[in-house]
Amino acid sequence: MDPSFVQLLLDIKCELRDSSSRLSRLKLYNSSKWSAEALCGMCEFPMPSDTSNLLKIDESPLRSRGQASAFTEGQSKETTGGQEDAPMESKEYDLFLLASTLFDCKEFDRCAYFLADAKHPELKFLKLYSKYLSWDKKTQESMESMLTSGSSNNSSNGRAGTKAGSGSRDTLDMLRNQDPRKSNPSKKFQKSSDLDHGESTSIPAILKELNEYLPPESDLEGSGIGMSLLYYLRGLLYKLQDIPSNAISSFLSAISIYPYNWACWNELLSCLSRPDESLLLLKILNDKFTSEKYQIMLKFFKLSLFQEFNGNIDDFIQELDFLLSIFPNFAFLKTQHALVNYHYMDYVNAGFIFDQIIKLDPYRLEDMDTYSNILYVMQKPSKLAYLAQFASGVDRFRAETCCIVANYYSAKQEHEKSIMYFRRALTLNKNCTSAWTLMGHEFVELKNSHAAIECYRRAVDINSRDFKAWYGLGQAYEVLDMHLYSLYYFQRSCALKPLDKRMWQALASCYEKVDNVDESIKCYTRALQLSFNADLDTVILYRLALLHGKLHDIESCKSYMAKCVTTNESADGLISDEITKASLWLAKHEARNKNFSEAYKYALGVTHGTSQEIEEARAIARECRKRMD
Amino acid sequence: MSRGNTPSQHNSTLAISPLVGSRSIQVPPSQQQPRSGIAQNTGTRHWSGSHRAAQTPYHSVTYSPLVQKIQSNASLATPAPAKDYNGGSTAGLLASMTKNGLFGPTVPSILRRVSAATGSKGSKNASGGLETEELLDENQASNTIDIAQLPAAEKLRLWRHDSLMQHQYRTAEYIGDKVYAMTGDPNDAFWLAQVYYNSGSYVRAVELLSHNNLDTSSVMCRYLMALCLLQLKKYEEALDIVGETNPFQDPLGNHVKNQDGGIKLESSMCYIRGKIFAALNNFDKAKESLKEALQVDVKNFEAFDELVSKNLLTPNEEWTFLATLDFSDLDDNEEFIRSLYTSRLSKYLNLDEVRKAQNFLIDEYKLHDNTDVIHSSVDTLFTQCKFSDCLKLCEEALEHDEFNFSILPTYISCLYELGGKNKLFLISHKLAENFPKHPITWFGVGAYYMCTNKISEARKYFSKASILDPTFSQAWIGFAHTYAVEGEHEQAISAYSTASRFFPGSHLPNLFLGMQYLLMGALPLAEEYFVLAYDVCPYDPLLLNEMGVLYFKKNDYVKAKRYLKKAWEAIKVLDSESKSWVSIHTNLAHSYRKLGENERAVKCFKLVLETAGKDTDTLCALGYVYLVMNRIGKAVDALHGSLALCPSNQTAHALLKQALDVNLSTVLDESHPLVVSSKIQEQGSVMSRKRAANKLDVHTMAKKLKQGQISSEDEGVDEDSMDLE
Repeated sequence: MDPSFVQLLLDIKCELRDSSSRLSRLKLYNSSKWSAEALCGMCEFPMPSDTSNLLKIDESPLRSRGQASAFTEGQSKETTGGQEDAPMESKEYDLFLLASTLFDCKEFDRCAYFLADAKHPELKFLKLYSKYLSWDKKTQESMESMLTSGSSNNSSNGRAGTKAGSGSRDTLDMLRNQDPRKSNPSKKFQKSSDLDHGESTSIPAILKELNEYLPPESDLEGSGIGMSLLYYLRGLLYKLQDIPSNAISSFLSAISIYPYNWACWNELLSCLSRPDESLLLLKILNDKFTSEKYQIMLKFFKLSLFQEFNGNIDDFIQELDFLLSIFPNFAFLKTQHALVNYHYMDYVNAGFIFDQIIKLDPYRLEDMDTYSNILYVMQKPSKLAYLAQFASGVDRFRAETCCIVANYYSAKQEHEKSIMYFRRALTLNKNCTSAWTLMGHEFVELKNSHAAIECYRRAVDINSRDFKAWYGLGQAYEVLDMHLYSLYYFQRSCALKPLDKRMWQALASCYEKVDNVDESIKCYTRALQLSFNADLDTVILYRLALLHGKLHDIESCKSYMAKCVTTNESADGLISDEITKASLWLAKHEARNKNFSEAYKYALGVTHGTSQEIEEARAIARECRKRMD
Repeated sequence: MSRGNTPSQHNSTLAISPLVGSRSIQVPPSQQQPRSGIAQNTGTRHWSGSHRAAQTPYHSVTYSPLVQKIQSNASLATPAPAKDYNGGSTAGLLASMTKNGLFGPTVPSILRRVSAATGSKGSKNASGGLETEELLDENQASNTIDIAQLPAAEKLRLWRHDSLMQHQYRTAEYIGDKVYAMTGDPNDAFWLAQVYYNSGSYVRAVELLSHNNLDTSSVMCRYLMALCLLQLKKYEEALDIVGETNPFQDPLGNHVKNQDGGIKLESSMCYIRGKIFAALNNFDKAKESLKEALQVDVKNFEAFDELVSKNLLTPNEEWTFLATLDFSDLDDNEEFIRSLYTSRLSKYLNLDEVRKAQNFLIDEYKLHDNTDVIHSSVDTLFTQCKFSDCLKLCEEALEHDEFNFSILPTYISCLYELGGKNKLFLISHKLAENFPKHPITWFGVGAYYMCTNKISEARKYFSKASILDPTFSQAWIGFAHTYAVEGEHEQAISAYSTASRFFPGSHLPNLFLGMQYLLMGALPLAEEYFVLAYDVCPYDPLLLNEMGVLYFKKNDYVKAKRYLKKAWEAIKVLDSESKSWVSIHTNLAHSYRKLGENERAVKCFKLVLETAGKDTDTLCALGYVYLVMNRIGKAVDALHGSLALCPSNQTAHALLKQALDVNLSTVLDESHPLVVSSKIQEQGSVMSRKRAANKLDVHTMAKKLKQGQISSEDEGVDEDSMDLE
C-alpha cells in the first residue's frame, strides 16, 4: 500500500478514536457510537512501526495537560489541527466529574445548577445541554398526558373499529385530539418550563446565554471541541426555533472547529429543505473545507446529502467506492448503498445488501424499517414476518421495530393494527417522518382522507423534503375534490423531484381538472420529455391530444392521436385503452373529413375496448366501406 | 424664663436638648451658670465613668442615647461656658460612640444592673463618678439618694427622659406631669407633649399645647402640634397651625447655615405642610412644600423620600431639582449624600450618573451590601424590564433584610412579571404573618391572586392595600388593572384617573388611561392622555409603542412608524428580554406593511417569529405581505403555518384561497420556480455526465441559482450565503 495512503488511514483512525472517546465524555452518545462503528469497520492496514500517535486518546482532560508535553509537537498539531481547548484546572475537572455523573443519572437541573458559573467551554456545553434536556423533558412530560389519553382511546377504537364508518370517524377524532401534540413541537419552544418561582428555562433564554458566551464567528481559531459543541447546541436550538439559516451557519462553525461529530453533519442536513439549497451548501462546503482533515467527513456528508436530494449518481458511486475501500465493514456505508438502490427502485439489490448488513451486524436496527419497506414492496410476507419477529426480539420498544411490525400488518391487510403500530413508533420517536407518511398511506387504504391528510401534514412539518408526503397530500386533496390545494402540494413534490415524470403528470392532471389547459399541456409535455420511452407513453400522448382538442388545435391533436396509435406497432401488440380510444377518435375525425380510406383503416384497428366502442368502430368501418365503394 | 428660648426655625431640636442644651442657651447667666455646670459635670462624670465602665458593661445611662445627646450637646451647643470640659466631653462622645452605646440600655434587666452596681461597690471600685452612675442607674427605684448638687426638678427631668428613651411612657408621663406642674416651664410642657405624642395620645398633646398657647410662641411646639393633628387626620386644623406658606421664607434667599448638624425646624415644618397638602389631595402645593423643605435643609430625607417614592415629580423635574439643591451644609458628607440621593432618582434618564453615584458609594464607602444601594440597582433593572436579573438582585438584598419595604414592592412586581406564583405565595404569607397592617402585605397577596388569575380576590386585596396607604402607587395601579383585565373599561378608567391624580410624577396611570380609551375606540381622548404621559416620560418604550398603535389606528402610518421606531431604538438600548417588546416589532411590521415597505415588513415579521415563536396572526400577516409581493410559495407556506396553529382562522383561510388562486393562474414559463429548479437539477446531472472541471460548473450553477432566486422565492439560501461568505 502506498505509504501516504497508509498515513491517511492512520490519521483517520486516530481522529475517530479520539472523537469517539471525547464525544462520549461530553454525552453525545450517538455521534460517539457512529465514530466507534466507523473505527471498527475500517480496513486492515499495515501499522507503521511507531504507533506513538495512536495513543492520542486522553480519557481525562486533566491528563491531556500532562501529555501535551509528551507529544512531539508535530504529531499533535497534525492530528488535531492544533486546536485544543485550554485544559481544565483540577477544580474544574472535579466539577466536571460531578456534573458528568449527575448527567448520567439524568438529574439535569442539578447538573446545570452546579455548573452555573462554569467558564470552560466543555463545562459550559454540559451545563447548557443539560438545561436544554431538562426543558425538553419537562415539556415532553406536560404533553405526555395528552398522548397517553389519546392512545388509550386508540386501543378501544381498535376493538370497536370493526364497524368501518364509526372506526374511521373515531380515528379522525383521535388525530384531532392529538392536534396539540403536533402544534407543540413548533409552538412549545416559546413555552418555558416553569418551576413557578420566577426562574424558567426556555429556548430563547438558553440561546441568549449561548450568544453572550460565544465569540464572534470570525475568530474561531484555537478553539477546541467544547466550543464546537457549543456551536452545535446553538444550531440545534435555532433549528427548534425554525430559523434554519442561523442554524446552518452555527452548524458550519461547529464543523469547521471539529469535523468529527457526525450528529452535527446530520443536523446540518436536516436544515435544508430544497434541492437548490443543497447545491449551494455543497459548493460552500467544497470551498470552505478544503483541508485534509475535513475531507473524509465531507465525503460521508455528501453521501447523505445525495440520499435526500438526488444529485449526481456517478459522483455518488465514486465516493461510495472510495469510502467502502477504507471502511469495508462499516454498516452505515452499506446502508447508504442499499438506500440508494432503494431510491432508484432497484429493490432486489437493495434487499440483497440489507441481507448482508444483517449478517454483518445482526442486532443493528437502524434503517431496518427501510428494509421492511423493500420487503413490503417486493411482496415477501414471510421474510417480512421473520424480520418483524426478529426485530421485536431485539428490542420491542424501538421506533424501527414498530415500523417493521406495522408494515407486516399492512401487508396482511390489517390496516388498523398497522396504524396502531405506526402510532407506537411515533410515540417512541416523534421525528420519524416515514412513519407519518406510511400511516397516511394506511389511512388512504381505509378511505379516510382527512386522517391521511393529517398524517401527511405532520410528516411534512417534520421533514419538508419528503416528496412522498407532499404527493400524498396532493392525492388526498384530489380525492376530496379540492384541486387548488392538491395543485399546490403537487407543485411542492414536483419541486423536490423535478426529474420524476409522475410528478409532472399529477400536476398536469390537476391543472386539467381546474380547466387550465395551457399549463396542463406544458406539464404533460414536460412529463413526456422525462419519460424513458417517450414514444410509448400512450396515456400522456392521449391526454395531450385531448387537451389540444379542447383548444380546438385539431392539427396537434391529430398528430398526438396518431403518435398514440403508432405506439401500437412498437409495443408488440399490447393495446391499451388509450390506443383504442385514439384510433376511434382518428377514425371519426377522418370520416368527418371525408378521408374514408384512412378512417376505415383506423376503425379496423379498434379491436379491444368496451363493446360500445367496438360497436361504434364497426359502424364507422361499415359506413366508410359504403362511402369508399 | 422667657418663652422665646425655644429654638428658632434655623435650629433643630438638638438645640432644645432635654436638659442641658436649653439651659445652656438660656439668657440669665446667673441662674444658668450653675445648672449648666452641673450638666457639664454630669456629662463629664459620665464620661469618666464610661471609661471605667469599659469593664462593666451594664451602665445603662452611659450607653443610653440620652446621655450621648447630653454629651454631644455639651460640645455642640455650649461652646463658651464650659471651655475646660470641652475636650473631655468630645472624648466622651467618642467613647460612647465607640462603645456602641445604643444597645446598652435595652439589654440588662434592672435587677442585674443593681447587682452589677453592688458588685462594683463591693469591689470598692467606687469613686464619686461611679457612684453617680449607680444612682442614675437606679433612679427609678431610688430618687431618695441625692445626686450630687442636682436640684430636685433636674433629677425628675432626667428620670422623665430616661423613661422616655426606654419607652416607659407611663413613668415619663407621670413624672413629666409633675415636673411641669412644679416648674411651669414651657420646655417641660413641650416634653410632656412629646411623651403624649410618643404614647399615641395625640389629643392630649394637642390640648396641652394649645392650652398654654405654646403653639403660638414656639416653633417647636407648633411643629409638634401640627404633627399631632396630622396623626389625628385633622388636616385643616393642622394647616392652620403650620400656615399655608412658609412664614420664615427669606425673600432674599439668604441661606442660614445650620449650626448643630440636625434638621432645621423650618424644613420639618415645610415637610409637614407638604404632608398635609398631600393628604388634602392638593398635590401641586404638596410638591412645592416638600421641595421647599429640601431647599431649606437637604438633610430632610423624609421630604426627599416623599417626593421620589410617591412619584410627585416627573423624571425630568427630579433631576433638575436635585441639581438645584445645596449640599454644602453637609461639609465632608456632601458628596456622599449627593450620591445617595442621586441613586434614588428616576432611572429613565441620566443612567450614567446614577451608575456613577452607585459606583462612588460602593468604592468610597464600601456600601455594596447596603440595601439602599442595591435598591438603586434593582430600580434600574426594573425600569429596564430586566426582570430576571432584577429578581436575583432583590433576593440577594432580601437575604440581609427579609422585610425591606423599599425593595419588596419591586420584588413582588418582578415575581408577578415572571409568573413566580410559588414564591409570591410564600412571601405574601410571611408578610401577612408579620405585618398584617402593612399595605405591601396586601399588595403581595393581590399580586398572587392576579398571578393565579383570580381577579376578584386580587381586586379585594389591592383595594385593601390602597386603603391602608392611599399613596401606594403600585396597589392603585394593580387595582385598576383588575378592572382592565375583566374589560370593565369605565371602572378601570376611574381607578386609573384616581391614580394619575395621586401620582402626577408617574406617566404610567396616564399611559394606562390612554390604553383604556384606545381599547374603547376613543382615539382623541387616548391621544390626549398619551401626550400627557409623553410629557412626563418620553423614554418609555411601552408608551411609544402605544402611541404608535394610536396613530396606526388613526391611519397615520408615517407617524406610527416614527413612534414605533423610537420605541424599537429604546428597547435596543435597554437590551432586555421582556415579552412585551414583541408587540413593538409586530406593530412596526404592520405599519411597514401599510406603508408598502414590504421587504422591511417581512424582516420585522420574521424577527417576531424568531423571538416570540409562531403565532397564527403573525404568520397570517406575513402570508399577506408575501402575497402582495407575489411570492406565492412563501405566502402559502406562511398561511399554512397560521392555519396549522389555529384551524379556524378565517382571514388565513380567505388569504390561502386567494394565494392558491394566484398560484393556479401563474403561468408555467421560464421563470416559474418549478421550471427553474428542474433545470438546475437537469444541469446537475448533465454536468455529471460531462465530468468537466468541477469547480467552474459549481460557480455557474450557483450564479444561475441566484438568478433563479430573484424571480423565484429564495431568501433563506441567500441569507445563508451572506452569513457564510
